[in-house]
Amino acid sequence: MHEATIAMAIVDQAAAVAMQHGAARITAIEVELGALKQVVPEALDLAFEACAEGTLAEGAVLSQTVRPAVALCRPCGREFEPDLTALSFACPSCGQADVEIIAGHEIVLKAVECDTPAETPLP
Amino acid sequence: MKIHVVESVLKANDAVAAAIRRTLQQAGLLALNLMSGPGSGKTTLLEKTIPLLGPRHPCGVLVGDLQTTRDAERLGDLAVHTTQINTGTGCHLSATQVAEALAGLDLQSLAFLFIENVGNMVCPAAFDLGEHRKVVLLSVPEGDDKVAKYYTLFQQADVILLTKVDLLGVLDFRVDRVREDLARLNTRAPLIPLSAKTGEGIDEWLAWLHAQRAAIVAG
Repeated sequence: MHEATIAMAIVDQAAAVAMQHGAARITAIEVELGALKQVVPEALDLAFEACAEGTLAEGAVLSQTVRPAVALCRPCGREFEPDLTALSFACPSCGQADVEIIAGHEIVLKAVECDTPAETPLP
Repeated sequence: MKIHVVESVLKANDAVAAAIRRTLQQAGLLALNLMSGPGSGKTTLLEKTIPLLGPRHPCGVLVGDLQTTRDAERLGDLAVHTTQINTGTGCHLSATQVAEALAGLDLQSLAFLFIENVGNMVCPAAFDLGEHRKVVLLSVPEGDDKVAKYYTLFQQADVILLTKVDLLGVLDFRVDRVREDLARLNTRAPLIPLSAKTGEGIDEWLAWLHAQRAAIVAG
């Protein structure tokens, strides 16, 4: 249930962004989740709802999209998308499963939608 | 109003982890994050390892558990310094918890720092603690299918210890199944079959520890 830790971080960061813009309430939050972070969408929704209670993000809609994993083969330098269905990180060129993960472990806050005030310039 | 931001949600944890890594690097010690399911033998491995590393290689231990100080009590007489971190309901250690525990420690006096994570094969894999190396344990009683089931943990490992191999003759555990899964997930990490009870594999594990420490100290 590491989703609770992630949900708390999302609420904190989204609230900080909203406050910077003088917003009264957050209506929606967009996040991208690395495919390797093993986040269960339903668990994150539930944790988010609980963490958002009593904050600017209370009642906000959390939209989650998955970011694909990208691996860099250490022996041959090829960049490729690991086959997570087959649970394979083996390089399509050289066959070694010795990779550096260059994407797939990140969780990114993409956008925060807020009520009022009128449009303000982006930071 | 829609505000576009692109920032890492775990940036607070990652920033603390990066600071820990710098501190540990300056101290010239090797820090290891031990991860596995509960009961795979992390504490037993440390009970065996620390005396064998000897007084020339003083060890510090941070041990994470939801509750109790049982592990710290087991390791307290062996390590130069032991800190129990109780996470309450938390299923993994965070970089902040590690940073707080390190604040009271004389890192210069240590050769190795073992961070025994909360027993869990999912959540600890998601949090960087600023360690130099990730050690993943799988014990024979857990079954030979766990590598594929908890693949992100094994994919990140720098070394994989197959523990309690003294039970291989008793239980239906196929080591070749583990090797087959690792051939797809992680061919970089060595797999060391080990038994804290019989001592099998301990020399190989100690050699790995010393080699990693030498690499870290050399920078």
